[in-house]
Amino acid sequence: MTDDKFFERLRDDARPLRYEGDDFLATRIAARVREQIARPQTVAQLLVAWMRPLAASVAALLLTVTLGLTWTQRHQEPTDSLTSNPIEIAMAGETFGVD
Amino acid sequence: MNVSLTWGRVLHEPAPRAEWERLTQDDPFEGRAIEAVRRGDAGSYDYLVSKYSKRVVSIAWGIVRNAHDAEDLAQEAFVKAFQNIGRFKEGEPFGPWIYRIVTNLALDVVKHRSRFRHEELTDVQPAARRDDAELGAVTSELATRIDQAIESLPENQRVVARFYLVEQFDHAEIASMMGLSEGTVRSHLSLARKKLKEQLADLYGASDD
Repeated sequence: MTDDKFFERLRDDARPLRYEGDDFLATRIAARVREQIARPQTVAQLLVAWMRPLAASVAALLLTVTLGLTWTQRHQEPTDSLTSNPIEIAMAGETFGVD
Repeated sequence: MNVSLTWGRVLHEPAPRAEWERLTQDDPFEGRAIEAVRRGDAGSYDYLVSKYSKRVVSIAWGIVRNAHDAEDLAQEAFVKAFQNIGRFKEGEPFGPWIYRIVTNLALDVVKHRSRFRHEELTDVQPAARRDDAELGAVTSELATRIDQAIESLPENQRVVARFYLVEQFDHAEIASMMGLSEGTVRSHLSLARKKLKEQLADLYGASDD
């Protein structure tokens, strides 16, 4: 038997394996779906729906500010360290400062 | 009238369409129900749920192999589709859309389950027992052998083979439902066919004549 013929016959024989469920399956599913879509949202669900985009925006803003501050600090550090720590050289009892 | 409709279809849609897709597009009630739901009439959704629920549960069951989970997944898929009905393209059949949703949900469950099984091996046995009990409905010995052979395949091949052999979807439909290319579907099916032919050689004969 060729591969194609085998698969054709197998496809015919496998058809009864489809899950049929009981007689009330469709009615049961319809009732469950109807109940769920008719149910009003709870306060918690409404809050989550409103708060989620807000929380995402705040998080994005915080991240931007943090990155911005870090970047600014990094680029200011060399100047700050020079001004706050002046170099002092001591030689033959005399101290010389370099600003 | 019928003649002109047929010619209209031939002219506008020269590519052959799958039977179930044609059926959904030929159902005027379906289009009206979708339109009504989009306008806010939730009661019209009953028509769509009643029409597709058996097939949707069957698709889910084929993947998760548990009747209770399959019904839960079908319910979840219908609710998800209802909540996103605004995104549904007008004029498209509802079937492929809901089949895709339930397939994705069921595949997620299987993925989660396989991760979980690595950690909690004790869960494997009750699950296997449930599967066997549900298979009790299948009386034919031939069907049982085929079912066992399909179940022994690796995950992707198993799902693709089940969709093709049991649910009778074609390559393009399976590709769309699973988010794969048609080539990948054909490749999975080819591998599955080889393994199934070996396993069922005593029933179908192994020779290539």
